[in-house]
Amino acid sequence: MLTRLKTQVPLFSMNSYTKLREKLKLSGLSFASTHSHVIRLGRHSRHNSKMAVCIAVIAKENYPLFIRSVPIQNELKFHYTVHTSLDVVEEKISAVGKAMADQRELYLGLLYPTEDYKVYGYVTNSKVKFVIVVDSSNTSLRDNEIRSMFRKLHNSFTDVMCNPFYNPGDTIQSKAFDSIVSAMMVQAS
Amino acid sequence: MSRQSNRTTDSKKMNAELFTLTYGALVTQLCKDYENDEEVNKQLDKMGYNIGVRLIEDFLARSSVGRCQDFRETADVIAKVAFKMYLGITPSVTNWSPAGDEFSLILESNPLVDFVELPDNHSSLVYSNLLCGVLRGALEMVQMAVAVKFSQDTLRGDNVTEIRMKFIKRMEENLPAGDE
Repeated sequence: MLTRLKTQVPLFSMNSYTKLREKLKLSGLSFASTHSHVIRLGRHSRHNSKMAVCIAVIAKENYPLFIRSVPIQNELKFHYTVHTSLDVVEEKISAVGKAMADQRELYLGLLYPTEDYKVYGYVTNSKVKFVIVVDSSNTSLRDNEIRSMFRKLHNSFTDVMCNPFYNPGDTIQSKAFDSIVSAMMVQAS
Repeated sequence: MSRQSNRTTDSKKMNAELFTLTYGALVTQLCKDYENDEEVNKQLDKMGYNIGVRLIEDFLARSSVGRCQDFRETADVIAKVAFKMYLGITPSVTNWSPAGDEFSLILESNPLVDFVELPDNHSSLVYSNLLCGVLRGALEMVQMAVAVKFSQDTLRGDNVTEIRMKFIKRMEENLPAGDE
């Protein structure tokens, strides 16, 4: 728990809660305060651990339908990261032979880690790919949380598809989809 | 031909999506064909009218409600029986005008507009205008001339969907004029 404190504190902006945590850490923690700490920290970190740094939706022809990243100034880097991750996705899809095609899971897992980021992938049966990039230092993000993020994305994407005004192949401009994605992204500090 | 009302709730969910998608495809095709929101609204109203004049027979057969004594009773029957039967929702009847000839139907949810987001270039499109036509056509078959329009729409950013119905006159018993 304390190691988690160490990694959490520099990452996120020092709000009043973080300052309190720092103070308590320095003054020596009693179990009660640690415990309430841990519970509240758990909630706090869970709130932050569901945060991606970049989310992208790629069509089956491998062009982006939607790409959003935080912070905005590094967008090009994320475009590049997502683009290179497509190779890994292709590899993973084709790795499973034809006989096992129906057993392949939609969630692809960690595609590749870079020094700064971890990239996760998910492919639908219609070959639409979702890519989530998270910060490498965000170690508390668990596999099933990523899975649930992908599930939410997939459901949201299905809703976008059902919009009769959306033509498959267009960029996604749905406000509902935007709000789901924003809820999953790190708050810009 | 006896038509039992065997609507169970188990298959409703799938039918609703297909219905919503079908209606959506209809509206977008109309938009592509006419390219003018006002024209599309008119066409939807016409189509609704044609549905309404036929639907009223089905409704009267299935629901066996008697002749309504006044407009208030009509409003209640529309909201509580008709909408429930065909769309599975029960709007609330509110905003009666002082003369008692105008009221509003407030729909919390509209099954026609699930998943729909109006793009910016169709800002004057009344997406569910078919409903207005249906109500108008159905009531015309029971000798009531009404004017129906949407005064609030969730697709335009309002919280609820509101249909405003105004009673115009009671019609003489005459043969239906036929489809428009």
